[in-house]
Amino acid sequence: MSNAIEIHQLHYRAGRTFEIKDLDLSVPAGAIYGFLGPNGSGKTTTIRLALGLLRPLAGRITVLGDTIPENAPHVLARVGFVPEQPHLDPVLTVRETLRFQAAFYPAWDWPWAERLLRQFELQEQQPFGRLSKGQKGKLMMLLALAQRPELLVLDEPTDGLDPVVRRDVLSALLDYVSQRRATVFISSHLVHELERFCDWIGVMDNGRLITAVPMERFKNGVKRLRISDAPPTPDSPPFVLLAREPANGTTETWLVRDWEPQMTRYFESIGAAVNDVIDLDLEEGFVELLRTFRSPRS
Amino acid sequence: MFRVMLYSQWKWCRLIVVLGSVAGFALPLVSVQGAARADSSPLQAGELLQAVQSWGTLYPVLAAALGLLVAIATWAPDHRGRHVHALSLPVPRWRYVLLRFGAGATLLAAPVIAVTAGALLAAWGATIPAGLQGYPVALAIRFALAVLVAYAVFFAVSAGTARTAGIILGLIGGVILVQIIAGVANIDLDLFGRVQVLVLNWPGPLAIFTGRWMLIDV
Amino acid sequence: MFEHLDPRSSTPLYAQIANRCRVAIAAGELHPGAALPSVRHLAAQLRVNPATVVQAYRDLEADGFVEMRQGAGTFVREVAPEGRARERARQASALVRQLLADAGRLGVSLPELQAAIAEEIGVGTS
Repeated sequence: MSNAIEIHQLHYRAGRTFEIKDLDLSVPAGAIYGFLGPNGSGKTTTIRLALGLLRPLAGRITVLGDTIPENAPHVLARVGFVPEQPHLDPVLTVRETLRFQAAFYPAWDWPWAERLLRQFELQEQQPFGRLSKGQKGKLMMLLALAQRPELLVLDEPTDGLDPVVRRDVLSALLDYVSQRRATVFISSHLVHELERFCDWIGVMDNGRLITAVPMERFKNGVKRLRISDAPPTPDSPPFVLLAREPANGTTETWLVRDWEPQMTRYFESIGAAVNDVIDLDLEEGFVELLRTFRSPRS
Repeated sequence: MFRVMLYSQWKWCRLIVVLGSVAGFALPLVSVQGAARADSSPLQAGELLQAVQSWGTLYPVLAAALGLLVAIATWAPDHRGRHVHALSLPVPRWRYVLLRFGAGATLLAAPVIAVTAGALLAAWGATIPAGLQGYPVALAIRFALAVLVAYAVFFAVSAGTARTAGIILGLIGGVILVQIIAGVANIDLDLFGRVQVLVLNWPGPLAIFTGRWMLIDV
Repeated sequence: MFEHLDPRSSTPLYAQIANRCRVAIAAGELHPGAALPSVRHLAAQLRVNPATVVQAYRDLEADGFVEMRQGAGTFVREVAPEGRARERARQASALVRQLLADAGRLGVSLPELQAAIAEEIGVGTS
């Protein structure tokens, strides 16, 4: 199976304003796929649709080779899911919650669960409802990992957690991914966090997937150029010009996409000069992409 | 899977189940107090039947209360988490519902057994006047069925979204309100009587709640 | 040794990791035969993709600094002094390239730069 998740022409509507239309998304097996997007863009809804928690109006969803929602229980046995909000029984203690979960997953690894329990420093006798936000987050990640899934679907797992807890949670995640070739589908709006380990990036905005590319292409694709002596209206550049601002004197700053190094020749041809090519980090690239996508230039 | 479900159910319901069992055990015994006399005049028989009948009205109330409370407690964690956990578990929905139902029903066995024990003890311990007979087993069975019916009905109501459950409870509340207002305004309106006649006397499982609950009868 | 990895830098993460190892080996901090952290351990510790660590180690292996032994781990190889000197030269060139790029961006001319270097080093101007 080449794709862990395959979504084809997904259509869903909620209320009068929110709609997901013609969504095509593929997550290659073994990839760590970062799912970015502002709040309300439809990330959580897409995740819920992908796992069969919601019914789409149209479209085909295949996860780990099986169709959703027909084979959802069979698929979910191999998927570790961390939802956006804490969803567990508030009355059960940490230890009881582990026992509950273990009963449902045949691949549950008790030795590893115990090790993570110690690593996360969770209080076994505390009821889930009384745990702090960070402890809840850690426990939910523990549950997702201890069942030894093939696919991890994480909906903003570090949202609202302090930096120390975030590190712990992500370390455990990457530790697992190093052990076995699991696929990770992680949504977040902490862009700088995803930057470190994702090898694919999908960006969602307003119910649509506006880009889905390997990380390197996303990072390297958007650049800031320092140009001097640029003409007012450049004709048909080989890259996508996203924005252009004057800097000082005759120099300008251009924001471009799909840049490649040999494109400096283009500037020579129009009588301009490229003084510098600056990389944008993922966060800036993401912000610029959204900005230009929302107000496209002619 | 059933074991962990039962355990989590127990954690939510234990107070209800324990109190219900205590009440269920005590009820038959309380209803026959004063029947220890050896001589059995018709007057005493009449008194006994009166006592048994008036206490007997509590059986359907207890059954309904147990059914309601255990059903609500069964679905409480799912409502809190908006069913996300249940839907993300690798079991088909129907199986999950069945597990929940079974767990609640298993816990309800305790008050049923308590009533059975109390009824048997009461019928055996009391000196029953001539002409009357004890029906502890029949009573216990009736109680068990009433609990089951109440539980099943409230379970089905609670299994829906919080919204549907709220709507249904809201409707009931609305009817009560109308009845109260009618009573205050001295309007002769008997909504509950009508509904009661419709729902309870209609040959169906709810009929089990009507009539007299007699531990000792002719 | 691996503090402050910068995912925003134009140098890819695997190259940054490999560089740190190279510097440590060239400076003699990592002795021949020493074991580098396992892929699993390093990926978890740095919170990076395990593939990134693997690529870094493969790079180091290609340059002859380490050897990856199946099932045992990654170990530092004996690097001849010329090898270490070559590595230091490479690091020096990279530093200079960076310096020149920064200077260009700030509008500092080459003579100005050279004067500043001379002053910092403490050699009098000729």
